[in-house]
Amino acid sequence: MEEEATNKTGQNLGIAALITAIITFVFAVIPCVGLMAIIPGIIAIVLASVGLSHAARTDSPRGILIAGLIIGIVATMISFSQVFVAGKIAQKADKWPDVIEDVVNDVQKDILEDLEDANISIKIENGDESVEISTSVNKKELVETLEELEGEEDSTAVDTPEQE
Amino acid sequence: MVRFVKKPYIIVNIVLAGVIVMIMIYSAIFSPDENEYPIVCVHEKITGEPCVSCGLSHSFSLILRGRLNEAYSWNVYGMRVFLFFVLQLIMRVFFSFFYIKFIDTRKQLIIMDIIGSVLLFLISFRQFFFYIFQYC
Repeated sequence: MEEEATNKTGQNLGIAALITAIITFVFAVIPCVGLMAIIPGIIAIVLASVGLSHAARTDSPRGILIAGLIIGIVATMISFSQVFVAGKIAQKADKWPDVIEDVVNDVQKDILEDLEDANISIKIENGDESVEISTSVNKKELVETLEELEGEEDSTAVDTPEQE
Repeated sequence: MVRFVKKPYIIVNIVLAGVIVMIMIYSAIFSPDENEYPIVCVHEKITGEPCVSCGLSHSFSLILRGRLNEAYSWNVYGMRVFLFFVLQLIMRVFFSFFYIKFIDTRKQLIIMDIIGSVLLFLISFRQFFFYIFQYC
């Protein structure tokens, strides 16, 4: 009678381990909840291990227990592997700001190269009066204009005390 | 009938069927329009990137409400996974019935069940496997 009760305990543990392991396995492969499946996976392994030790003592059938243990171990491994998956994705995500910066720099460089020889002309008309501003983004011309302006500023600065 | 219920195979079938029914109830209770699902994607929380299974709860809820196009847009693999659970529910009922009815072929029945379920699982979840193992 006592032996039958012990056999039943082992069998019940086996059933519990198998059910937990199967459910863990299904959830372990779903990335959203895969990481959380580690906990039921460990529970399944513990249940199966306890059941196996019971079965070893009482010499009762171990089929369900071994199935529960194997599925539980595989499910826990898949679940645990998601830690690395998340780590790898996070690592990739860290590199993205650098990649975006490189792309922006490339685009900026291309635009500047395209505009190097371009001329810009702005014309403002107000009735009979009109003002036209023409400039270029050519580096050489810009430097020349800047030098001219600086030259004018210097002469004005020199002239100013004399006027006073 | 009661003595059959005590058989390990029948107990496993009943519990698994119960879990699937609970998943269906979960999908039916939570409305996809209100977006109040208690389960959040752990992957998205860690990486900031949506994973291949994101939107599965929405997809299930929408399938149950017959809005299949919307379900497809929430998760492309939602329908496949949902069908897996529905087929598993049907299989649990039928295999339990056959287990009780045909005593001589129980072993073959269990083997058929295992092979069928594994194949169905691999077909339904293969994209999730690819997603996990591409980073391993």
